[in-house]
Amino acid sequence: MSQIHRLTRRSLLQIGAPLMGLGLSDFLRLEARSAELGHSRSNKSLIVFWTDGGLSQQDTYDVKPDAPVEYRGMYQPIETSVPGVVLSEKLPCQARVMDRLSIVRSVHHENGIHAPSAHWMQTGYFGPTLARNAAQKPSFGSVIARSIGSRQPPMPAYVTIPKSEAFGYQGAVYLGKSYNPFEVGADPNDKEFKVPNLSLPEGLTAKSVDARRTLLATFDTLRRDIDDSGVMEGLDTFKKQALEMVAGDQMRTAFDLNSEEDSLRDRYGRHRYGQSALLARRLVEAGARCVNINTGNWDHHNDIAKGLEEHLPPLDCAIAALIEDLTTRGMLDDVIVYCVGEFGRTPRMNGHAGRDHWADCFSVMLAGGGIQGGRTVGASEKWGGGVHERRVTPLDLLATIYHALGVPLDTHYDDSSGRPTSIVGGGLPIRELI
Amino acid sequence: MNAAITSSLRNCPEIVPRFVRRTSLSIATVSTDRDVRRTKVISGQFLRCGEQMSVGLCSAKTRAFAERKPTLQAITDTPILCDVGRHRMTSTRSSFRPCRIAFAGVLLICSALTLHAELQAADIYFKTDVVPILTKLGCNGGGCHGKATGQNGFQLSLFGFDPDQDYESLVRESRGRRLSPALPDRSLLLLKATARMPHGGGRRLEESSDDYQVLREWIAQGSPKPGTDDPQLVRLELSPEEQVLSKNETLQLTATAFFSNGTSRDVTKRAVYQSNDPSIASIENDGLVRTADQPGMVAVMARFGDQIATFHAAVPFVSDPVKRAVIEAQLRGIGFQSVSSISQNDGKLNDGNQSDRQDPCPTNTHLLNQWRQLGVVPSALADDATFLRRASIDICGTLPKPKEVTDFLADTGSDKRSRLIDRLLDRPEYASYFALKWADILQNRGAGYSTSQQRASTALFSGWIRDSLVANKPYDQFVSEIITASGSQYENPPAMWYRTVRKPSEYVESVAQAFLGVRVQCAQCHHHPTESWSQSDYFSFAANFARVGRKGGFADAEVPTDEIIFLNNRGETRHPRTSEILKPRPLGAAEFPLGPDDDPRISLARWMTSPDNPFFARTMANRMWAHFLGRGLVHPIDDARSTNPPSNPELLDTLARDFADSGFNVKFLIRSITLSHAYGLESTPHDGNAGDSQTFSRFYPRRLSAEVLLDGMSQVLEVPTEFGGVPAGTRAIELPDENVAAHFLDVFGRPARMSACECERVDAPALTQALELVNSVEIQRKLTAKTGYPQLLAESGKCDADLANEIFVRVLARQPRPDELKTATDYLTSEPDRAEACRTLLWSLLATNEFLFNH
Repeated sequence: MSQIHRLTRRSLLQIGAPLMGLGLSDFLRLEARSAELGHSRSNKSLIVFWTDGGLSQQDTYDVKPDAPVEYRGMYQPIETSVPGVVLSEKLPCQARVMDRLSIVRSVHHENGIHAPSAHWMQTGYFGPTLARNAAQKPSFGSVIARSIGSRQPPMPAYVTIPKSEAFGYQGAVYLGKSYNPFEVGADPNDKEFKVPNLSLPEGLTAKSVDARRTLLATFDTLRRDIDDSGVMEGLDTFKKQALEMVAGDQMRTAFDLNSEEDSLRDRYGRHRYGQSALLARRLVEAGARCVNINTGNWDHHNDIAKGLEEHLPPLDCAIAALIEDLTTRGMLDDVIVYCVGEFGRTPRMNGHAGRDHWADCFSVMLAGGGIQGGRTVGASEKWGGGVHERRVTPLDLLATIYHALGVPLDTHYDDSSGRPTSIVGGGLPIRELI
Repeated sequence: MNAAITSSLRNCPEIVPRFVRRTSLSIATVSTDRDVRRTKVISGQFLRCGEQMSVGLCSAKTRAFAERKPTLQAITDTPILCDVGRHRMTSTRSSFRPCRIAFAGVLLICSALTLHAELQAADIYFKTDVVPILTKLGCNGGGCHGKATGQNGFQLSLFGFDPDQDYESLVRESRGRRLSPALPDRSLLLLKATARMPHGGGRRLEESSDDYQVLREWIAQGSPKPGTDDPQLVRLELSPEEQVLSKNETLQLTATAFFSNGTSRDVTKRAVYQSNDPSIASIENDGLVRTADQPGMVAVMARFGDQIATFHAAVPFVSDPVKRAVIEAQLRGIGFQSVSSISQNDGKLNDGNQSDRQDPCPTNTHLLNQWRQLGVVPSALADDATFLRRASIDICGTLPKPKEVTDFLADTGSDKRSRLIDRLLDRPEYASYFALKWADILQNRGAGYSTSQQRASTALFSGWIRDSLVANKPYDQFVSEIITASGSQYENPPAMWYRTVRKPSEYVESVAQAFLGVRVQCAQCHHHPTESWSQSDYFSFAANFARVGRKGGFADAEVPTDEIIFLNNRGETRHPRTSEILKPRPLGAAEFPLGPDDDPRISLARWMTSPDNPFFARTMANRMWAHFLGRGLVHPIDDARSTNPPSNPELLDTLARDFADSGFNVKFLIRSITLSHAYGLESTPHDGNAGDSQTFSRFYPRRLSAEVLLDGMSQVLEVPTEFGGVPAGTRAIELPDENVAAHFLDVFGRPARMSACECERVDAPALTQALELVNSVEIQRKLTAKTGYPQLLAESGKCDADLANEIFVRVLARQPRPDELKTATDYLTSEPDRAEACRTLLWSLLATNEFLFNH
């Protein structure tokens, strides 16, 4: 597929119809089809815990036990299953599975505002500085959806739980609206949790759905080039996907958390993060390529201890339970687990017992899918602050993930002006982890 | 100075005949070297033989001026950047030989003048020399020291809008250790910025740069304080101001700052730039515009200090002269017959003045001018069936019924489209549909209600909006009644606007965004970065509402209901930084003269609705244009600013002026727009306009909005949607507020009415929408209802062909094509269950893009 993606539609139009024995329309259909069907040989997937608002690195993955108290914070370090690697005492569950996790402690970018930073970490590129401005680049989830597609259609390639966040920057932008995430739309921990419209309504038979599909295909002939907003193209893809979904049981089964043992559900934790992580595992098993669990908000400018007390234990429990469950099922080598937010928080606590935005040096966690476990990459300065060694950029992180997933790093997509744009720019995979 | 040059030009017989008119000529100095030596840049634009030509002249560094002969370039079309010392030369094209001689003469005259300018410019001023460097380097950006809490203890005002505070931070705070006049190079400021000391922001500044030298020099001079006699920045100019560019071309802009002491200076390298559409043209840090592959119109903003300037470029679709000539001929061939009847309408909307106007449809002239400028050929006119469906959806939010389709197609009158618009505007659905739109903008929010008793108030407000539209209440009166509303919200429904709009920031932002089309939010906390709005503009505007009082009301909802709105005796607004009490003032105009008993809101309403208000009529004209044409002339519709100009300024001016002249007659405005050439075009592009998304050379399709789509399905299947808590048979466009549960409406983008921005309503496609279409209980219920159309049709005994024809006209407002008819009849023959066959056929047409979109 990488060969195909390097050719732009424009250049194909210039070449003309007979290309490798295929007409242009055949070619485009094939391109669309193979993305849809995930004709990539990769069987890797990605589960993301997005820490919306910015998770404090010094209270979690990068503790500074020897720093003065205003830097050190409230928590003590604890030993982990890897000798010499310590985590915050608020991460006891991840400490237990540290041998399978790796931590990058020297992530750096240069913006301290939520929206452009979220854009940076979601897309690899600096984004618009005015609030509510449209995204300029596609999110990594959308890049993954477009490049390697779903493992088992019609399961969507890219899912957000419960819905998209990151200041509006978890979308596909110029990749095409059909690569936007499927939003689950409900809290998986809710007793009544149900994704609307996955079961056939009463009186509608599989045979009728089949007839509808056939007829729709013949009548739906309005010229597609009248709409260059991408709305029509997106709806087309989704209509086809929806018809395939309701014809089978795959989606319904995947979203049915009740079919899991109670004891396992308890291990993940009966809270939004825990049940979201369990759902993510089920979706990945059923063919999803990138499942993004949005957590937080972690924007703790005031009284950070209170905020972390509320959010950190469930997140820690969910991540560790997921790692253990994937291990038990023999899936850990195929599923990358990634914990990341738009930035970290200031190394020194402010006057309101909180921490502010900090992008100069913060931490992310990576595990599974071929990523080496039990390692730490890079280091922050003595009391936090700047990068002490091995600066890692947002594009380096994306390159690492794409590489592990089997997305060719030389993939380019045309942006809205038709300019082929690299998915990783100057980013390089973190070689210590692969 | 300019006058002197002009007169010198006149005295030189060789020059005068060639340069008939001087359009602008400026002298600027820039610092170029370590010792802050000066370079002269003289640029001017001349008209010769009616053709515009831009010329830039430069000298070398002053001291070297005598011995180093400056290279002079005179170039048609493009201004040049000259080669001065180590500075680069971007252009060596020298196609106009006689000029070169002529300019040598001009230059000699200028050199004396520029030397004089240099002596004046030698001092370094904090506000106009130092702060802009901090801005350009990003020091005072919102991600660094510019944020409210500063960064690592060092705080600057955002984008340098408060230089006095910045001076304090730099010079006095932190025990003065940030600057070191004795050893300027050892100043913390310079050590950090050059990363010679660890700096979170990394290396921002090179020691060899001009910026470094200016900062260093200022420190060495003892960091002089900003004084009241310092020259103030009064204006920023970009040169050129506008230009036609080809695809993949570059153009160097020159930014010139003008000061209160009469001096001016080249600030090209110090200004901060932003393009409003990087897919058409991007801008580099040093003011170099670079067009891409995409044709269209683009604006580039430059900011220096608190001033902004804008450069406009048009990148034509076709620049080859031969092809342009062909296009010219094609454009001449476009007739505007279909719209010639606009001025002959019934007298009730057109007053006498309208029909007296020479040009029957000025809108079309402006469209045509733009197509000509960009070399775009519009699509053909849409057929009647398409136009009927399009106008019915856009005016009434309702699909045409089969009878309307056959009647309209049978009508042979040449003014049938015009009469159609009149009929549609007279229907009650017009008022319901636009009342829904206004209820979104006016945030008639129902969320948070707990009892049906409260529903009455949102229903009253939406009813009042609908009645105003039925009566075609002049728009100025409609808005005045809302913002000046007093009394009980039950007795005076427009006062309901004050139910969800409660705080100073909400008053300011809602009024500015909804009625004036500007976003002033930024100015609440700091000077607006892309506009001239300051904090005092923002809070003086808020002062208009400072005396709004409230009493009474139930308090068991999210916000109280049925309050009484009244004018308090007192109430003031203070500037958040200076605490100065601000008098009520409109945006960009002088404060209102008010007596103690005068309601400032009445003055505000008068100012807003005055026919020459720069925002009011334009905002409404643009909003309605966007409603019908799918995109505003100013886009987004509520973000008008000089740095985001309209795509067709003359067209917007005309629409707005005519709307105001008509007495703010909304139906008149709708008529002008729907009868414009652009609204009657096909949506199908062709070679001559593929890729156009700005000039309305074809109709831009969009998905039906949530309510219209659901109502359309109900109409086709003759089964109304059952909404809870409202009378049976209520259509989605008639719902009293948004707090009526309907999953269908939510997934298709119904807004929550949290702001006055129409952008809250989204049409992004989603898998959940497709699942709703394919698999929802609601649509299946409509398809299978005993009294529904599919069932009745199945029992009607009609033959296959009649049945198929009827279904097509009903759903798509057109006859089936032969191949479609065959598919449908073949299917009907093959399916023994007649009702099931009707359902399947209907569903598969309802799910086509042709149904889902207005095209």
